[in-house]
Amino acid sequence: MMLHVENLQVYYGAIHALKGVSFHLDKGEVVALIGANGAGKSTVLKTISGLLRPREGSVTFEGQVLEEVPPQDIVRKGVIHVPEGRKIFPRMTVTENLEMGAYIHADRAAINRDMESVFERFPRLKERRNQLGGTLSGGEQQMLAIGRGLMAHPSLLLLDEPSMGLSPLLVEQIFDIIQDINEQGTSILLVEQNAQMALAIADRAYVLETGKIVMQGTGDDLLQDSSVIEAYLGGH
Amino acid sequence: MRSSALDKGLRTGVIFGIVIAIMFLIGFTVTGAGLVGKLFGVSSSYNTPPLTFFVIFMVLMGAWAGITAAARSLTEPDTLKRALTAGASAGAVSGLISAVVGFIFGTLNANAIDPRTYLPMVSPESTKLFLMNQSPLTGSLMLLGVLTVSGAAAAGLSFYLRTHDGVKSGARNITESVRKTIRSEGVARVTNSPYARYGFWLLVAALLIILPRTWGGYWNYVFGTVGIYIILGLGLNIITGWAGQLVIGYVAFFAVGAYTFALLTAPEPHNLTMNFWLALGLGVLAAGISGLLIGLPILNLRGDYLAIVTLGFAEIVRILLKSDLMTEYTAGPRGVRDIAGPTLFGRSFVSDVDFMYLIIIAVLVVTFIAYRLQNSRTGKAWYAINLDETVARATGINAFASKLLALSLSAAMAGLAGVLFASRNQFTGPDDHALMVSINVICLVIVGGIGNIPGVFLGAFALKGLPEILRETENYRLLIFGVLLIVMMRLRPEGFLPAKRPVLEKSAQTSSKEAQP
Repeated sequence: MMLHVENLQVYYGAIHALKGVSFHLDKGEVVALIGANGAGKSTVLKTISGLLRPREGSVTFEGQVLEEVPPQDIVRKGVIHVPEGRKIFPRMTVTENLEMGAYIHADRAAINRDMESVFERFPRLKERRNQLGGTLSGGEQQMLAIGRGLMAHPSLLLLDEPSMGLSPLLVEQIFDIIQDINEQGTSILLVEQNAQMALAIADRAYVLETGKIVMQGTGDDLLQDSSVIEAYLGGH
Repeated sequence: MRSSALDKGLRTGVIFGIVIAIMFLIGFTVTGAGLVGKLFGVSSSYNTPPLTFFVIFMVLMGAWAGITAAARSLTEPDTLKRALTAGASAGAVSGLISAVVGFIFGTLNANAIDPRTYLPMVSPESTKLFLMNQSPLTGSLMLLGVLTVSGAAAAGLSFYLRTHDGVKSGARNITESVRKTIRSEGVARVTNSPYARYGFWLLVAALLIILPRTWGGYWNYVFGTVGIYIILGLGLNIITGWAGQLVIGYVAFFAVGAYTFALLTAPEPHNLTMNFWLALGLGVLAAGISGLLIGLPILNLRGDYLAIVTLGFAEIVRILLKSDLMTEYTAGPRGVRDIAGPTLFGRSFVSDVDFMYLIIIAVLVVTFIAYRLQNSRTGKAWYAINLDETVARATGINAFASKLLALSLSAAMAGLAGVLFASRNQFTGPDDHALMVSINVICLVIVGGIGNIPGVFLGAFALKGLPEILRETENYRLLIFGVLLIVMMRLRPEGFLPAKRPVLEKSAQTSSKEAQP
């Protein structure tokens, strides 16, 4: 088991956001967390990457306990969080954004190699490498955010709503890329509202509702499940 | 369309008339004439300037009104008649308003009524000057005439320059050829060659070595102050410009540096008389540590807590220094006297020239450090935190430690400025460390262009050097400050020398907008 989350309890002040979330992820898997707005999906990712602290429960990554580790050290363990809303550094160029992704690495030559491979994966970014991040289109910004995550050499990539606000064609492209990243050996924990797409590429998935996991199964199982279809897939 | 030219002219005239009237009421007409005199090399700081300069000042105002009116009424086809109508009407209306004001105050003067009870700047001399040393009626009519004629003439001239092909193409040819020369390969080879750059820096170095010796104690004092404010500005720029954390009570660190140094070297109240360089180091260190201690409890919070806490800290420091309670330790409200100057190999260097050199060296060192920091990994981390702290943390930056480092480096630089300040004045007291110092430093960083090192130099010069050069305008310092800020916000909202990124973003934005279908 690569990642093990056990009975996570997270509060925003008095608001009880996660009420005992438990799940796991095996090496090489794509695991999806789906659910409506406010279900607590992003909160789970922020807690794993250390941006939030759980009041109770534990996060274990490759046998090491994460919930007391500061975020900058979690990044160094290979758990990379790509926050939601295409969060890039708007006033840095594409190249500078990618360099920030490799902040934890020092080897200049390796960084340049990594950047070339990101550019290979995202040719659009190479065309715009001297443009400021804030001037890119929505899809390009999402690619940049993912590319920046890859620069850190993730063994587990936490993706928060990569499809948010993108056109259907771009969503498909982004999901192809996610699958491709996974096939090259990176495990992926994917948070999505676009349940259809997420379940299609996920090995396993969990359904989150108001801070609790209410259902789990393989991606295909959940795609067939009538209550999931009803709630998340615009059911018939 | 003649009526619209007249209309624009009248409106412009009203604005300029009111401006001239207000200038007169606050006594700025005398100052303005004095400044014109200064341009011609006639200094008359404390006397009423000669009439000629006042007339030139009024002609300039009229010309400004005329050109503005002509430009505002500009339509196709551009005719001389329109321009003249607009210019003359603008000049006439502003002249009329000025004449009425002048006539009223001239009559009051003639009847021995002193308006200074209500308008302290309207002296009989300034009224007399405003009326061109004539009787109220003649003087008002002359004002009207001067403004009307200069407005019309300037509008006509601007029309001529705008439309006359010879002038137009001539001007264009000149700018073209200048541009060509600047961009030509020969010039590029010269400016890009390392020798040219060495030559330029040699020249700068020579000036820095020669000027303090030749231009006298007064200018050494003025530019010494500018230098100290450059150090303060570069320091504040680290935490506020780069790391994006607003610090309002920056003067607190300045005070810590100045007082640490003062108490270690002055005979009273502790009689320590420590070595200058050792005390300098300790002053810088103490300021840096105070920054660290202030940052420890609050820098893991986001938002404006740092601004508020430092503001409070600055006031606490000042009030403690001023209180009788601390007199035994900090010499209380009367301040610390006989602070040591620099010594080297047993010789003491305390002349104004020596201090100027010391400040220049300190500015160079701090500038070098600032440039190194800007391009370092730490500098990038600060900028990332400034742009988006969440993402910065998600990329592995220790935001707390980075901000803490930025704050203590900022504080240390303020401490260095404080040491130099105290040592140069051989005195420091609580009033040297009022909140106004912080406000000035924030202003100079913003005016110069936040986040930009050359901008700090320009800002320090504009806020601390210019007011000394334009001594005549002393009473109007706040007025000029206000006008400067308004003009800046309209024309250069990112400061006079903005950091390169925002500019880049603007052009990139337009080009990407064009590129999108």
